[in-house]
Amino acid sequence: MGIMRLGYAHVRVTDMTEAKNHYGSTMGLYETLEDVSPEGNKRTFYKGWDEWDHHSVVLEEGGVGVVKYGWKAQHEADIEAIENKAKTFGLTVERMSAGENPEVGDGIRFTTTSDHVFEVYHSQTAIGTEVGTHNPDPFPRHLVGIGVPALDHSLITCEDPKLMEKLLMDVFDFYPTERIQTSLEDDHELAGTWLTSNNQIHQMAVIGGPQGKLHHFAFRLDDWSQVGHAADLLTMDDVAVDVTPTRHGITRGQTTYFFDPSGNRNEVFGGGYLAFPDRPTNVWTVDQIGKGIFYHSRELNERFTSVLT
Amino acid sequence: MATIIVQPSGAEIFISPDDTVLAGLQKAGYACTVGCRRGGCGICKVDVLEGSFTYNRRVADSVITATERADGTCLSCRAVPDEDLTIQMRDASLRLVNPLLGQLNAKARERARAASTAPEEQ
Ligand code: FES
Repeated sequence: MGIMRLGYAHVRVTDMTEAKNHYGSTMGLYETLEDVSPEGNKRTFYKGWDEWDHHSVVLEEGGVGVVKYGWKAQHEADIEAIENKAKTFGLTVERMSAGENPEVGDGIRFTTTSDHVFEVYHSQTAIGTEVGTHNPDPFPRHLVGIGVPALDHSLITCEDPKLMEKLLMDVFDFYPTERIQTSLEDDHELAGTWLTSNNQIHQMAVIGGPQGKLHHFAFRLDDWSQVGHAADLLTMDDVAVDVTPTRHGITRGQTTYFFDPSGNRNEVFGGGYLAFPDRPTNVWTVDQIGKGIFYHSRELNERFTSVLT
Repeated sequence: MATIIVQPSGAEIFISPDDTVLAGLQKAGYACTVGCRRGGCGICKVDVLEGSFTYNRRVADSVITATERADGTCLSCRAVPDEDLTIQMRDASLRLVNPLLGQLNAKARERARAASTAPEEQ
């Protein structure tokens, strides 16, 4: 099927000790590796309790924002197919060797039209979920903090969301589930787009803004009650909360946004409908953008489109 | 306890030791533009006209450039005054609070301008 999921988000943090406190103790991710990058920066690798691969979040000390994203392809052969499609699209693709990222196999790497680095790989060392696969219990008994099960999706900004949407469609075979358009006419501008390759409502979303920026990366939760519980824990841990629990009109998901100690925005995201490739794309017109992003307040706050790392 | 003089009004506020400039302003009742409050987004910048401050955390070069480190730019959510400060708030009364909508409006203006000038070009 090509790209199965967003495999990892690799982000920069200004202080590793504070960051580990957030991602380990508050979010409840499991640390799988600590090392030093070839450039000499401290790194920490994490997985969620319901993920089986070695890592889904990589923190690298030295700045803020996103370093790169990893995308896991289902078959070895998908890598070459995606490489060819990327070249046809006009991108410069380089080969990535096993071990360039710890515990990640061979793959490819390219910089998108949005100025983000994408890596595509097929194998990553399997560790197993915290509940195992033999008669598994529904969750680990001793979850730490929020205890997020998995990485879910990310939202990035770029100057030309339409071109980035085309890239994700042409190269990754993604399809858009939701769009924000200036009108319903053919000559509309695309203000934002939400895309996926599977039943997950979105794996990557793109809105208009500066090139190469991170808006947020999100962790999966089941529903309202978990989102509310997460917000309680964020307050107990004095995390800077951006948006208290609400629903998105776009995706129908339930959400809370907050900032890690370096200022990178995180989200916990619950619910949302199942996506299918033959599903008509939901379209939001710009006059309804507030309701699309924050369904209850129906107002797009100042921070949503201006606070980026 | 340091004093911050807030320009353009010249209002004077007291700030408790170890409080950041932003915390001081907020505790004194000022509404400011804030984002992450963690030194990552750069939204909370003010200009320091007089006095010095120290960042209570490492601040990324992508948030405060080398020039900004020298020209009095102050990331208010991470800056703690060393002494009395005179600061200048940024943002005039007309603030673009939503750049995405601003960007779309700019494109609409361009289109409208193109449409209105098109007949003359023919
Ligand atoms: S509010 Fe984000 S850097 Fe100060």
